This record gives sequence, structure tokens and C-alpha cells, in this order.
Amino acid sequence: MTIVKASKKHPLYEELAAIVGEDRVNDNQVIISSYTQDACHLTAERPGIVVLPNTVEEVQAIVKLCNRTKTPLIPAGGRNGICGAYLPRVKGSVMLDMASMDKIVTIDEDVMTVTVEAGLRWAELIHRLDEKGYKLGFRGPYGGNAGTVGGSTSINSIGYAASKYGPSTEGVVSLEVVLANGNIVQTGTGWKKGARPFARYSAFHDLTGVFLGDHGTLAVKTKVTLKIYPKAEFITYGDFGFKTLEDACAAFLEVQKRGLTEELNLLCDRQSTDTFFPGFLDRHSEINAMFAAIAQETDEQLASRKMEIVREIALEHGGKDLGNFAAQMHWGEMFNLVQPLYNNGFWLNTCHLRPITLIPELMKRDLEIFKKHKLLKNGIKWIASCLGADRAFATGWVTIFAPDKSKMELALKAWNEMLDATIDSGGCPYWSGLLWENRVLKTVSKPFLDTYKVIKNALDPNSIFSPHVFEGVD
Amino acid sequence: MEYTNLSKYAEELWLCARCGDCSLADKTVASKRDVFLPCAVKNVLGFEAYSARGRIMVMNDLLNDKIDLTDDVLQWLYTCTTCKGCQETCAATAEGIKLPEMTEALRNDLVNAGYELPKHKAIEESIINLGNPYKEERDKRLDLFGERDWPEMADVIYFVGCTSAYREKEIAKTTVELLDKAGVNYTILPEEECCGSVLLRLGHKRAFDALTKKNIEAIKKTGAKQIVSACAGCFRTWKIDVPKEGHSHDFEILHITEFLDQLVQEGKVAFRSPKPIKVTYHDPCHLGRHAEVYEAPRRVIEAVENVELVEMETNKRYAHCCGSGGGVKGSHGELADKIGANRIKEAEETGADLLVTACPFCHRGLVDGAKYGNSKLEVLDLPEFLLPFMVEATGKREVGENPLKTEFMAYLSNHPKIFDGLKKDAVIDYDIEGDRFHLVIAKKGQVVVYPIRAENADVELTFSKGAVRKLVTFESEEEYAKQFGLFFKEPTDDEWIKFNLRLNLVKLLMKGYRKFAQKAGLI
Repeated sequence: MTIVKASKKHPLYEELAAIVGEDRVNDNQVIISSYTQDACHLTAERPGIVVLPNTVEEVQAIVKLCNRTKTPLIPAGGRNGICGAYLPRVKGSVMLDMASMDKIVTIDEDVMTVTVEAGLRWAELIHRLDEKGYKLGFRGPYGGNAGTVGGSTSINSIGYAASKYGPSTEGVVSLEVVLANGNIVQTGTGWKKGARPFARYSAFHDLTGVFLGDHGTLAVKTKVTLKIYPKAEFITYGDFGFKTLEDACAAFLEVQKRGLTEELNLLCDRQSTDTFFPGFLDRHSEINAMFAAIAQETDEQLASRKMEIVREIALEHGGKDLGNFAAQMHWGEMFNLVQPLYNNGFWLNTCHLRPITLIPELMKRDLEIFKKHKLLKNGIKWIASCLGADRAFATGWVTIFAPDKSKMELALKAWNEMLDATIDSGGCPYWSGLLWENRVLKTVSKPFLDTYKVIKNALDPNSIFSPHVFEGVD
Repeated sequence: MEYTNLSKYAEELWLCARCGDCSLADKTVASKRDVFLPCAVKNVLGFEAYSARGRIMVMNDLLNDKIDLTDDVLQWLYTCTTCKGCQETCAATAEGIKLPEMTEALRNDLVNAGYELPKHKAIEESIINLGNPYKEERDKRLDLFGERDWPEMADVIYFVGCTSAYREKEIAKTTVELLDKAGVNYTILPEEECCGSVLLRLGHKRAFDALTKKNIEAIKKTGAKQIVSACAGCFRTWKIDVPKEGHSHDFEILHITEFLDQLVQEGKVAFRSPKPIKVTYHDPCHLGRHAEVYEAPRRVIEAVENVELVEMETNKRYAHCCGSGGGVKGSHGELADKIGANRIKEAEETGADLLVTACPFCHRGLVDGAKYGNSKLEVLDLPEFLLPFMVEATGKREVGENPLKTEFMAYLSNHPKIFDGLKKDAVIDYDIEGDRFHLVIAKKGQVVVYPIRAENADVELTFSKGAVRKLVTFESEEEYAKQFGLFFKEPTDDEWIKFNLRLNLVKLLMKGYRKFAQKAGLI
């Protein structure tokens, strides 16, 4: 049913309504207004019309329509990313709100995969798998309550359990995508007619990888097949503090190299710990940096032994055992951890990847910026945290919080300097979007970008998918 | 256009970071948070504009003149049931972003500027002229009770409410019969006026003060100390809105479920079903999220012998709305029916024989939802459900039958220093492998322990019996705290403690839990 009626001014309204019905397409300003931002402060153009597809056939028909009319088409997931990736760069675009394509298609227990529609949210996927006795590898971004599998894998999201399993894209076995010409392609073992999507690398090159992290520019993802694992009931936790960030990073790197933890999260200075867990270090005045470690296994002894080894490594690097409260809260509050941080104000992020050894250099640069702008005196708190990722690198999550609108200008000034410092000190963003794109384009090698453009032109000659992404932001 | 009332929320509107939990959150396995796609309206209409996140974006656009104020805005604004499911889900501020208040503020702004739906204007006129929103005759309000003289003085006022008086009459009739049979010293106001709930929800606040003053004066004349309502809307208005709008009074406000719960606990009433029945319960938003009464109705249902209570996938603070609140039933009837039908489906999935609720609006909405969805599930309001099962009471119910529970309660009462640092009204719920009780910080150095589950605890603590047996042996609070922390950090199969945080971390810290955690050696 429809309450706010479409204005029917968009040139494709009638044809889109013929595909999905009037209830699921709308170009009214009230409806459009709610698709104009994600979870960061950045803005771009407003979509011209929003469509809620329910099936791959509907997506296919919409893509064909847009291709025929050369109309920009923007796929959108949970829209709670923090880099403005889903926001259109041009006026009049058709936005696909994929959130209602949220079914679990199959749980294939023989080959340990789950195939889901791209609009499924991570939290629901985890809870449905949990009921069946399985878990994912990568569990979802920290905003996985609303973040979708399709959205995350389109922008290289990273988050829970990346310390062991790598970013969202690492767990992908196969994709179903709709190309600009309307073809539906299944990657991985899906190249073979009738084959189950059980392996990613098969017979041809890795076509899956072409579409991962594409920021919606190459196709619309409609299904994603992910690896699953037996549910691991045994969890051990540990918090370890260090006098210096350098010591903490050395221990952190060693734990990551040895693949001991499901999740390993570093807080780079006392202020960061205090913003996250106020009072946590009150009794440990000598501690400047700490990490929280979580090991999860199907075997109790294995889980315990892994945490013992983490402890041994920490102590060898001069660490102090702080108990396990922070680690327990961190894991127990999965997907609800970052929202309370908004109590500190609106956040400005600098999410990226970096070698663990380069974390101290970033902190040195950022602390100078914080000091220069007197952030704490102005009520602007920060959290500098790093999540172990894959093997021996980490995320760099340095976030500042503007407590109210009046402090936003100062916060933005500092934030822009932090973005420069991040790039200059060896950081590589995992997503681009409005957040990083200009800085990425300044440093990208020409052959790399040209190769991407060749692929883009070949797959989407009319540039209907998310046009002008990777071309720079005004 | 001046958005005088909405502008008061400008900072909070700006602060919302659009994480989307209010729109799309799912139950989180790790934290046992049973939220599931919390916006019942968005679940039907699909577009983000109908969720709290979208509504906040639209409100920001209105405040910043990025979109025009049109009839579309007016229609959109009255699709929100103000059920507060979004706010309960939101962890961005200690209280959650206050979308229901913002919605009512914007409605009030539009009404003040002359933008209003014709049917809402008619409702307001009906309330002003007839004392009810249904255009019914004022002097017919109590006709449903037949010829009966109501006492001029009584201990308790049964505040009937317009919907029970004119539309859902069985609720009023059965409530009166229950009160009669229980021997309650009560009366009904012969000139009861609408409580004004609908005016507040629709943004038509002008007539609210006069109604409330008239009702308060009438109640004072009876000498009553308690107002009991079987309508969740009236209850919320009396308990929350009347003081908030600046009207003071000394009456204790109770919902019928709380009142009956007290009678059950005191052994003054008892209920027995002749055959086993499986029942599920729908939390009215006004009773649950808005007034934080979740456990009393459940205790009353579970007090009926031969009745098994089963929960829906979403319940208590995360229960989906029935669709009838916030003026949606009157403004967009089919939308309300569809939301109601979705709630009925949830109830059916429990395998329950019967759906019980505790609000005439919810009852109507769910009955209509069942009809819309071709469901045969029977829907009853709590007094209707209880009356046929009323049996002779056999005296005060024993509480704390489990000696360990009794011992633990006594131990905590005698060791208030354990809770040093916690602010007044902090609430901790205790669960000894299924046996519940709760503790409230009354003031510094004083705690009150209640033998029942808390309505809305800050933290739920689950203990193994072995852990409790050990904890109650400690004489000093310091030793208790230390062992408490060890049970959490280093649990064994027999001795363990688990936490379930019901508030977000920031709010817990504001309530003083930092010191509590420090004493336990957790931080």
C-alpha cells in the first residue's frame, strides 16, 4: 500500500511501476529525503526515484530499462556506511533499496556455505545460522544490525572477526550479479550450469573479485554465497595493557601473525580507552595502550590454550594482565558497541588499513593534530582503535566526536588534517566513497586506474551503474 | 514556516548518525537483544521515510527548508504510531533519540500553523463538546453498566476511558465485574471526561488542560487515592503526560494489570482455567515502552492455573506495535490493519490458543488485524480473559519459596554497601537459574529487595546456585565484590555469573555502575 503518493515526475516512473507495482516505487520528495545520507556527515545528489525490488527478475528488468534509457542506477544496502559510498553523484538517478531482498536462499551443509539475497543484514544472518548450529567467518561490520551482505562486500567493509577471517570480501565464495546488459552471472563454481556455488576459484580467473569492492559501479549484486563454520561454543577473553604503544603493537603483531584470536582490538592511548570504557584504566596509571583479545573455538581446551598463549605474548612484551571485562563487553555487545559512542557527539571517521608496524607513526601524527587544535579543551573526544585484520595488518580507526553543531567546524578542520596524515603515514583506505575518493585519486597509479576503467567500460558501456564514482568529488 | 516545537529537538536531530538500528536491526545473538525490524510501520510500507531514521532525515530537511511543507508531509506525519520501538532500540543517546516526542512536536507545529487533517479537527471538537472523540453523547458514557449508582466516595477510581465506554464495552464491563468480585472499594466518575491522550498524540494540545483539570477536580471530590485504568492510553496519559504537562496530583496511577497483580500477590483474587490453555501476550506500547510495565501482566496471566504463557519473537521492550496508536487507526485504517495482521502472524507462530492484550486500542487493532489477515486466532483483553477463570481466593501467596532465593534476598538487603556508588532508582534484576527477584537503590546506603522480576532493570544478573551459595557466606562487602568479579572472569561449571546489560554502556555509567564494576575488579 502507499500513503505518500509518488509525484510521478521522474521520466521512468510509469515503466518502473509496471515492473514492481506502484507500492514499491516512489519519487515524492518526502520519500527521497530519507535516502540522502548514510551514517556520516557527507552529502551528494539526491536520488530521483527509489525502487524496492523483491526479486532478481525485477532487478534485471530495472537494469535493462536504465541501460536502454541511459539512466543512472544506484544500488543501496543498509545505507549505514560511513563514507557516503551509496550517494549518487548525478541528479535523477534510480536508487535500488535492496533491503527487502533479504532471504536466506540455502544453507548448504555439505560444502559449508550459505547463499543469501544481497539485502540480508548481517545480524539476521548470524542469528539464523546460530539457530542451525553454524557461524560465519567475518561476522559483519560494526554496524551489522543494519549493514547488508551486498552493501558490505561492495565497499570492502571490515569488522567483527576480521582478525581471524579477514574483511567481508574474504568470506565470499560466489556472487550472483546483474550486468548492465541484463545478463545474470553467477561467479565461482557457478560458471557451470547447475553446479552449486561451493568454491570461488574454478576453471576461469576469479570473476568474483572483479565485483567485490566495486562500490556499485560494475553490476548489481543480488545473491552472495559465504563460507560458514561450525558454531564454536567456547570463548575465552583477555585484556592486556602496555606502557607504550610500541610495545602494544609488537605484541599485537605477534598475536596476529600466529592467528590466535577471533577478534583483536587495540586502543592506542589512554584517552581512547577512556572514551570507550570510561574508568577502565583508572587503577593502571602506567598503562597507555591496551588490547582486548577474544578466542573462539569448538574445543574448550583449545580456546583456553590460545588465550594463554596470547597472555604469554603480551607479558613477554612487557604487558600487564588487566582481566577480561573489556573483551567480554566488546564481544557481548556485538553490533551495539559503537552506537553508544554517539553520546560523545557526531563522529568523523578515518577508516583505513595499515601495517601494524605503522600504527605508532599515525598516532604520533594524530596526537599532534589533536594538540594543535586543542580538541579535548573544546570537548572533542577521540578514539584511536585498530582491529587486527587477516594476518599482519590492521584497521586504523581514528574517530573524533563533535559534541554539538557549534564544534563541527573545528572538528572538520582537524579531521581533514587527520585524513592527510593517514594517507601520508602509509595508510590505505579500504573503501573510497565521498570520504576518501579525492585523496585516493591523488595517489592511485595510472595503470591501475586505467585497468579499472577498461573493465568499467567493457561491462557498463553506458555508465549507468553509480556513474562518476572513482572520478573525484566536487 | 516556524517549527517552534520541533526546533527544540534540533541538536538531537543533528546528532542522529543514521546507524539504521531503528529501521533494520535484528536480534543480536551475542547480547541477547531480541529486537527484530523494530518499525512496524516501515515493515508494511517499505520505504525508509517511514522508519525513525528516515523520519529524522525528513525532519532535518523541513527544518533546513530543503523540502516543502505539503499535504504529503501531513499524510506522512500521521503514519507514525509513536510506539517508541525505535527509541527503545536506539543506543545513540542515553534515552534513545526521542522520535515519538519529535513527531508530536512537529504535529503540534503543523496544527498551530493551520495544517491539520479534517478528521482530527472533528475529533478535537468532539472531545471539547462531548468529552469523547467518537461524537457520542456525553450522558450515555456509563450506559454500558446499566442502572447503577456509583458511590460518591471511594478508595479507588476506575477510570473507564472513551474507547472502553463507547467501543470496547466488554473490557469495561469485565473490569467492573472483576473489581466487584474482588471486593474493591471503588467508584466511577459520573462525569468522566476524555483523558486527552488522543489530543496529545495528534498534536492538538489546546483542550488538554481543561479536560485534565476537570478530571482531577472530580477525582479529588471522591477522596480516592488510586486511579486504575484498563486502557493503556489513559494509563500512560495519567501517569506520564499529565505531570509532564504541568498538572500535579497525589493519586497513585495503576494499570489494571498492576492492580490485579497486587491483588494476586496479596492472595485476594485467584484464577483457574478448567483446561490447559497456551496464551501469548501483546505488550501495548503505552503500557510497555511508554510506562515500563512489562512484568505485571505476565505475572497475572501466569497466575492463572492451567495457563501457559509463551512469548512472541518480539516482546516486552522490543514488541512490535499493533498499529493502532498515535492516531494511525483513525488516519490510515488499512495501514493499521496490515500492521495488526503482522502482529497476529507473530502470535500465531507461537502456537498459542489465544492472544491476550491489555489495551482497548490494541484489542480493536488486533481483532481487525486478525480479520484482515484471515486469522481465526482469538484476541481477548486481560479482564475479559480473566473473568471466566476467577475462583475463590485462598489467601496470600508465598513468595521466595526457594530458600536460596530468600537467603540471597536477605543477604543483599543486609549488605547495602555492595551497591555503593549506584544512583537512586538503579534497578538490578537477579536470576538464580530461573528464580527472579530484583533490587532497587532507594537512597544512599539503602536498598529495597522485591521478590519479583523487575519491570525494566538496568542490568540482569544470572547466577548459578553454586555461586549464590558461596556469595552469601561472605561477611564483608569487599570479599563479596571480589568473588563476584571472579565468578564473572573465571567461571567454572558450577560457579558462574552472567550479565545481560539492558541499558547501553553510557547510561549505565551515568547510573553509577562504574564504581560497582571497579569494586568487583571488573575494571
